[in-house]
Amino acid sequence: MSKYGYSRYSKGTARPWVRCLRGLALLLIPASVSLASERVNFDEDVQFHGFLTQGYVKTTDNSFFGDSQDGSWDFRELGINSSYRFSPQILASVQLLSRKAGEMYDGSIDVDFAQIDTTLYMQDQNRFGVILGRYKNPFGLYNDTRDVAATRPGIFMPQAIYWDRVRNMVLSSDGAQLFGHYQVEEHRFSVQLFRGRTPIDENVENSYLNPALDPSMEQDGYTTGGRLLYEWDGGRFIFALSGASLALDATTNALPPGSIDIDYRVLSAQYNQGLWSLTFEYMQEPLDYSGFAGAMDVADTTLDGYYIQGNYRFRNDMEVFTRYEESHYDMHDKRGEATGSRIGLDAHNFYSRVSTLGLLWEISDRWMLRSEFSRVDGTIFLSNLENPVPQDKVRNWNLFSLLVSYSF
Amino acid sequence: MINHNMEPPRRMRKTKAFVVGLLFLAFDAAHAVDLVANRDIDFESISKNTLRSIFSMRMTQWPDGTPIRVFVMGDKSALHMDFAKQMLGVFPHQLRRAWNRQIYSGMGQAPIKVETEQEMLEQIATTPGAIGYLSEENIDEQVRILPVQ
Repeated sequence: MSKYGYSRYSKGTARPWVRCLRGLALLLIPASVSLASERVNFDEDVQFHGFLTQGYVKTTDNSFFGDSQDGSWDFRELGINSSYRFSPQILASVQLLSRKAGEMYDGSIDVDFAQIDTTLYMQDQNRFGVILGRYKNPFGLYNDTRDVAATRPGIFMPQAIYWDRVRNMVLSSDGAQLFGHYQVEEHRFSVQLFRGRTPIDENVENSYLNPALDPSMEQDGYTTGGRLLYEWDGGRFIFALSGASLALDATTNALPPGSIDIDYRVLSAQYNQGLWSLTFEYMQEPLDYSGFAGAMDVADTTLDGYYIQGNYRFRNDMEVFTRYEESHYDMHDKRGEATGSRIGLDAHNFYSRVSTLGLLWEISDRWMLRSEFSRVDGTIFLSNLENPVPQDKVRNWNLFSLLVSYSF
Repeated sequence: MINHNMEPPRRMRKTKAFVVGLLFLAFDAAHAVDLVANRDIDFESISKNTLRSIFSMRMTQWPDGTPIRVFVMGDKSALHMDFAKQMLGVFPHQLRRAWNRQIYSGMGQAPIKVETEQEMLEQIATTPGAIGYLSEENIDEQVRILPVQ
């Protein structure tokens, strides 16, 4: 196992039924080939899709998605999925994902999702059902497809809501999800509730405890969460509330064991006129440390962050956007000064303010190109794995990035 | 076009003519697109909300239980653009994003893409539960036209 970016995602959490689903997916492939000639519509029920994304990141200071001060190509995403619709009520789908993101993710192949979606009740546009397996958590507007360039709001997810350094904490769950969709004229209401085990990895461990303590974490119990979503006029206006809560049991090389209780809440709103759209999301994350002989109590806090993004499509295939985002380690200490002096580090480690200008060109149905420039004040969202010495982080820095993606 | 090198006194009139001409051009460019379905789909008409649910791949079966099969042309095809804007009230990139969000989260499947109107006609005529669109001049009795309320 590599020192950094080692992912327990596929190994440690692959429960027997996940392996079963994996086997089922592999079985689907030869079945579709041999039956294609016998049943005319069979090949319409099986679908294969995938994507291949390569990014380039250049920063004036600090490391983000690789050794970015020298220009980094260590940002690569590959995904392939297969789905089979047994009937209008039952859909099985599996996706494999390889993600290289600097020192944060090493590109090993993980099961991104492997699920069976069963509709128990369906009438017209209304449905109610259950999803079993490993599913992407419905969280905010973008969590469930955050690794797919074609559905992201930019080259990078807005770090104020969708942290890359703790991505796995809310990415997916192994368990069950209940869903209900109800439509009355132009109003659509969706409820999704989930409960399951969350894959914890080294990025999570080293974000909630100092890497110098060599932390190791196990989830205590289950992650419970959900999303309420309202859509008006086919998505012209969207409003959503999401929440999740989990507890981690941690051991270190220096302190007695302890635990960390994490809540995560997001409010989302979007107005989408077609050619232009406006998006706002706000996140709040209370952290409660207990145990560790009281040594970590000082770190109890409520993180928060928000972003506001405006997009304008000036040609059928081209879009420009601008985004402003802010993250705070302590929602009551927006410039990190009190936290910094309490913990003994520069204030800029405890907040970030980012202004981004971006351009998107959808060359064809399959190819897309993005280019973005960000001015950053603060270093809170930088990974400890990529920037191990807090004193070396530079407060004001610029970020330039390019991305090309192919999807089918 | 016609308004190059115009003499000042006649500009107003010519501009008017030009605008009217443009309007006609615009009408001409916009295809007369119709929603079409397999003949066994037994509907008099369909509501815009239902149509949106079908084309965003959220609705998977007709009320009689037949699986819905959605056929579309490429994002950059003029007919697809006209259909999306006129009948669904959205732009092709919005539809594409909705499909991608479902495909890559495991929550749904993509519509079936055809390259030509001829292919669209054949698929809709021969696939039970099929729905798609065609320009007026390419529709014949093999398929059913569904008016949108």
